[in-house]
Amino acid sequence: MARPETLLDPVPAPSPGEPVTPGDQRIFVASQWQLMWWRFRRHKVAVASAVVIAFFYMVVVGADFLAYADPNASEAQRSLMPPQRLHWFDGWRFAPYVHGVKGARDPQTFKRVYVADPEMKIPIRLFAEGFEYRLFGFIPTTRHLIGVDGGRDAAKTIFLLGTDVQGRDLWSRLMYGTRISLTIGLIGVAMSLVLGVILGGLSGFYGGILDTVIQRAIEILRSIPTIPLWMGLAAALPSDWTILQVYFAITIIISLLGWTELARVVRGRFLALREEDFVVSARLVGCSRRRTIFVHMVPSFMSHIIAATTLALPAMIVSETALSFLGLGLRPPAISWGVLLQQAQNVQTVAISPWLMLPALPVIVAVMAFNFLGDGLRDAADPYGR
Amino acid sequence: MLAYIGRRALLALFTVWAISVLSFAIIQLPPGDYVTSYIAQMASMGSAVSDEEAQALRLQYGLGEPMYVQYLKWMNQIVRGNFGMSMEWRRPVIEVIGERLWLTVAVSVSALILTWALALPIGIYSAVRQYSAGDYIATFIGFIGLAVPNFLLALVLLYLGFVFFNANIGGLFSPELQDAPWGGAKVWDLLKHLPIPALILGLAGTAQQIRIMRANLLDELRKPYVVTARSKGLPERTVVLKYPVRVALNPFASTIGYTLPYIVSGSIIVSLVLGLPTVGPLLLKALIAQDMFLAGTIVLLLGVMTVAGTLISDILLVWIDPRIRLEDT
Amino acid sequence: MSQRRPWTRTLRSALTLILSGALLTAVVTAGALAQGGKTSLIGKLEGPEVVTDSAKWPKAFKEAPQLAELVKAGKLPPVAERIGQDPLVIKPLQAIGKYGGTWRAGFTGPADFWNGFRCCSGPDHLMFWDYTGDKVLPNLAKSLEMQDGGRAWLVHLRRGMKWSDGKPFTADDFVFWFEDIYRNKDLVPTPSAAMAINGKQGAIEKVDTYTVRFKFPESYFMFPDVLAGATDLAGQMWGYRALGGFAPAHYLKQFHPKYVSAAELDKKVKDEKFDSWVRLFLAKNDWARNPDLPVLSPWKTVTPINTPTWTLERNPYSVFVDTAGNQLPYLDRVVLTLAENLEVLNLRAIAGEYDYASRHVDLGKLPVFIENQQKGNYKVYLDPGDYCDLIIKFNLNYDADPEIGKWFNTADFRRALSLGIDRDQINETFWLGTATPGSVVPVDSNKYNPGPQYRKLWSTLDLKKANDMLDKIGLAKKDAEGYRLRADGKGRLRIEIMTLGGQFVQYTQISEMIREQWKKIGIDLKVQEVERSLALQRTANNEQQLGAWNNDGSEHLFTFPLHVFPYEVAAVATSGPHYAKWFHSAGTQGKEPEPRMKELMEKWKRAFGVPEKERIQLGKEVWKIAAEEVYIIGVVGQGPAAMGVRVVKNNLGNIPSRMYNSPDGKTPGISRPATFYWKN
Repeated sequence: MARPETLLDPVPAPSPGEPVTPGDQRIFVASQWQLMWWRFRRHKVAVASAVVIAFFYMVVVGADFLAYADPNASEAQRSLMPPQRLHWFDGWRFAPYVHGVKGARDPQTFKRVYVADPEMKIPIRLFAEGFEYRLFGFIPTTRHLIGVDGGRDAAKTIFLLGTDVQGRDLWSRLMYGTRISLTIGLIGVAMSLVLGVILGGLSGFYGGILDTVIQRAIEILRSIPTIPLWMGLAAALPSDWTILQVYFAITIIISLLGWTELARVVRGRFLALREEDFVVSARLVGCSRRRTIFVHMVPSFMSHIIAATTLALPAMIVSETALSFLGLGLRPPAISWGVLLQQAQNVQTVAISPWLMLPALPVIVAVMAFNFLGDGLRDAADPYGR
Repeated sequence: MLAYIGRRALLALFTVWAISVLSFAIIQLPPGDYVTSYIAQMASMGSAVSDEEAQALRLQYGLGEPMYVQYLKWMNQIVRGNFGMSMEWRRPVIEVIGERLWLTVAVSVSALILTWALALPIGIYSAVRQYSAGDYIATFIGFIGLAVPNFLLALVLLYLGFVFFNANIGGLFSPELQDAPWGGAKVWDLLKHLPIPALILGLAGTAQQIRIMRANLLDELRKPYVVTARSKGLPERTVVLKYPVRVALNPFASTIGYTLPYIVSGSIIVSLVLGLPTVGPLLLKALIAQDMFLAGTIVLLLGVMTVAGTLISDILLVWIDPRIRLEDT
Repeated sequence: MSQRRPWTRTLRSALTLILSGALLTAVVTAGALAQGGKTSLIGKLEGPEVVTDSAKWPKAFKEAPQLAELVKAGKLPPVAERIGQDPLVIKPLQAIGKYGGTWRAGFTGPADFWNGFRCCSGPDHLMFWDYTGDKVLPNLAKSLEMQDGGRAWLVHLRRGMKWSDGKPFTADDFVFWFEDIYRNKDLVPTPSAAMAINGKQGAIEKVDTYTVRFKFPESYFMFPDVLAGATDLAGQMWGYRALGGFAPAHYLKQFHPKYVSAAELDKKVKDEKFDSWVRLFLAKNDWARNPDLPVLSPWKTVTPINTPTWTLERNPYSVFVDTAGNQLPYLDRVVLTLAENLEVLNLRAIAGEYDYASRHVDLGKLPVFIENQQKGNYKVYLDPGDYCDLIIKFNLNYDADPEIGKWFNTADFRRALSLGIDRDQINETFWLGTATPGSVVPVDSNKYNPGPQYRKLWSTLDLKKANDMLDKIGLAKKDAEGYRLRADGKGRLRIEIMTLGGQFVQYTQISEMIREQWKKIGIDLKVQEVERSLALQRTANNEQQLGAWNNDGSEHLFTFPLHVFPYEVAAVATSGPHYAKWFHSAGTQGKEPEPRMKELMEKWKRAFGVPEKERIQLGKEVWKIAAEEVYIIGVVGQGPAAMGVRVVKNNLGNIPSRMYNSPDGKTPGISRPATFYWKN
């Protein structure tokens, strides 16, 4: 297996032609992590991506606080309501509001028609009361970031991103979906990481028979198309499992197939580092094997792992949506990006209720952000690349 | 060199065998078998299959036997070139796959060409102009294909094609030419239907290829000979394109072997959404119906393609760049 | 939409006003009116008629031009010879048609064989329904004669009628089927219930070339309905399972061990790569897969269902003719193109790539279909069924959790759950307001309908009553979240509904909505979507609690009882596998049902052996018990979800404005697609 490490795991280089500034003493005394940070800062898009991702994980933590409606509350009379127009100013005063909406089905076109009532203004309140939940999982409260007076009164609610066919609020569902999709990705990657580091490490460090066996296993796993693997494993799940159990099982399935890439990266780094001058010199000055590995090799190798992990996350997110599309992933009533997209995967959505495709947006943003962040991290990961 | 190839080929053979066992096992993983799926299908249409009939069916399909016996029988058939009978289609597997295989290859190759057409220039540009606005924009475009859920994109394009261009919905042929014998008109019709699937499938792989190209080229650009060339006053364009790009392309070109099967298996979902007559939807349906031989053969076929592709790539790579041989041995 | 009635026009102008933002409340009124199921898309039930009076039959016959050519070239006998002395005369709905053209539609793969059976098989039943789906009339048989108090039935065949290869269709084809196919244990492991009365098998014997006798040990008054319905005796479509009542003896004998030597048969099996002669025989007797199989239908398969296009072409020996003596069908061929994805299939229909489509057409896309009517040059019709579009079955034999099993067997528990469903919400969301909320009983006009009061029995939204009933039966205690607690002290009472994805009705999504509704009566419902095979396995292992399904077919109570009481042992949604076993084994296996259920089953069974008047009475009583006991919750019915959204090109003729939508009627078969034609 010669191809992987030379191709997929490049050692970034400084821009050619730029003069090195040997006078900069800082560089020579800086720790490795400082060096990485300086390099990382140069990749501006990666920095911006990091901010975006931080923002996403804020949504994960505060999903129920950011949602203003029960994501499962359905109501036929507000089925397929388009996103409401938000008015920021009431006259000159800053007081965001939306108009009340009434709707019915047009007996000719069979579409649901909604008409805003210009007389009825529904003011949007900050920290309004809504459905009950536990903030951070343990503080019971009814306060939400935004909401309307009187909580869950059906006639006077807001639907910032419109509703789905069952009249459920898309904004609130999106908040909950973000929580599940981004945690599933994280857990999946964490598990892939454990598998990948252990197996890749063993393979790279010991070499020989063990290396051959693990490399063969990776090759076999990678040669089987993922969909049959998913289908086989997902169908083998006991059918009486709860949503939570299925959720974890699916993470495991995704990660079982995701570790191979990480294992290869780890092995590659191990192989490459073994011959590096600093490792050789460490050995020559009489460092113990353990010290060589943990003090000299692992730090430089850690940064690569972080980068590889970041790059593996978007694949997890995409896998989750693909699994849902195939009906193998999370299923309603669970809400995830995949579930939301799967429900938008029909002609009528594209033709008459396109706002239901909005959940594709966070998927795109998150995948892009993770990719740029990962690239930035990887470029920064080489400690002597400047 | 010959010894190396021989060793790799032996290993590949072993991998193929392992894949055949694994694919057989995977297909057996879901509860029930084809007869269960058949009974369920009948039941959902309102007609019943009795226990006795189910028993008889299992006997006829040889499903009652232990798994290893079924596997050995299957292998025995395959070795003699008989891939068995598809239970769902009730035709020899080879016939069912055969007509779709070439279309699959056509779609995948056009996706591959598109990927390279996008990835090469973007990769070169973003390596030469690392961290410039252009680098960001180019990579951004490259990454879009990776980020957009392709099943949704496929459906949207399908619908837009109908609304704005009155295009045929899905498929690879106009209805009139569906059953026509192959000829100039049919090939032209196929070419007209290829761009959308190629675009969706090609975009997904572009990001990966951009990364590889960019990284390879960055590696090359650091090398002393580039500095020498530059110091000799060669124009920048020549400096970059004359050698580094060529060298960077070598390992890149050798990826062709395993990229193709990856595209094929990656195309299953998109093919389903676009209604393409490729092996992807066939595999999906075979898996659902637990049509063992059909699903098994397709999985095996894709596995063999990947293994063979990897083998070819590796041999190519060693041939191109002898340094690697040292590292691997 | 030329026949729009005045009230709709008023509504429309009202709506225009509303849209300009003036009368908000009127929208609601308009919406409410639309919910009554009254829309211009639902027309008057109409259809072609079979002319049974031989005096009115045409004496001279005409044929399609390409067949006339063949006759002229001497490759085909003259049309009169091909049709025979006793044509099957159909009076087209609107006009005598013109020959020529293709009917394009879609199919989803080799499992979608019902698609072609429904459109193109004729239907080839011996007897068949008239267009109202109510009356049984002679079809392939010239007439049916009752003998011996219902213990024997004489089938008179049409003289000179031929198979599609020109060989005569005679009593021998029945005897061959009965003796060599039906009674061969390898081909038919389990005898058919349709060939039996009260569990006792009947027999077939030849009287003369054109007369066959079906003999039964007891009176079998239901026999004509059984021949007409989608049962095992209903024509060649059942050939792939070696059933159907008759088969082309002259052709199939070459694949039967009784008529060819073992060595020769073995060679045939090997040559065609089959595993056994049984598989070969069944494949050869498959209407959809074998282009060589002689058939009796108006069209015959040319390229089989297991290729990318399933093509059918006119049968030159078709016995079907119109009142002017034109041999049917009018349309030269039917081309069904493969669409493995339902969205692709629907989008093709929306784009007008199909000439006539109703199978797989999704009700949820109705607005998109209507929007594209002009562009696609088609018209949308709705054909609501007479049955319930959504039912929820209690598994009365559920025993994995005795507490839950106990509640399922408590009538008031079932009734309360039914009262806790807000049917209007479901109708509006998933049926776009086109269905009728109510119990399981079929439409009021159905002859077995027990009376209009049963539509609403235990099937209106009444949260207070539901809560009171649940309190009273011993489920009064609730947890902090308001869910009822189990009586055995093991926490919350959680019940589970099993649903299937990818069906005509969106069971999972609807169940989710019901889950929200049942919260209000303190019932915690878990929705579990499973794949079809898994569903079957779970019902077979008796692991299903509730199951969602539709009971299309139940409008023909006696030929399609699957979703009325526990009838099927293997089903994707069951109401009690042990009861079903008990029923079929005449009480020797399974579990004896409770008295009311037993009464229902006995009445249903008894109806087969009694004359029609008595049978109708029994049918009403069966529905009465079903509605009173709520073994199955009816949610919404008489809607167009299953094959009820019909998209037809504007210039296709003889299209009824509404057709009888029923699996038993093989819709659109009941409207005789052989009479459809291109107007220009």
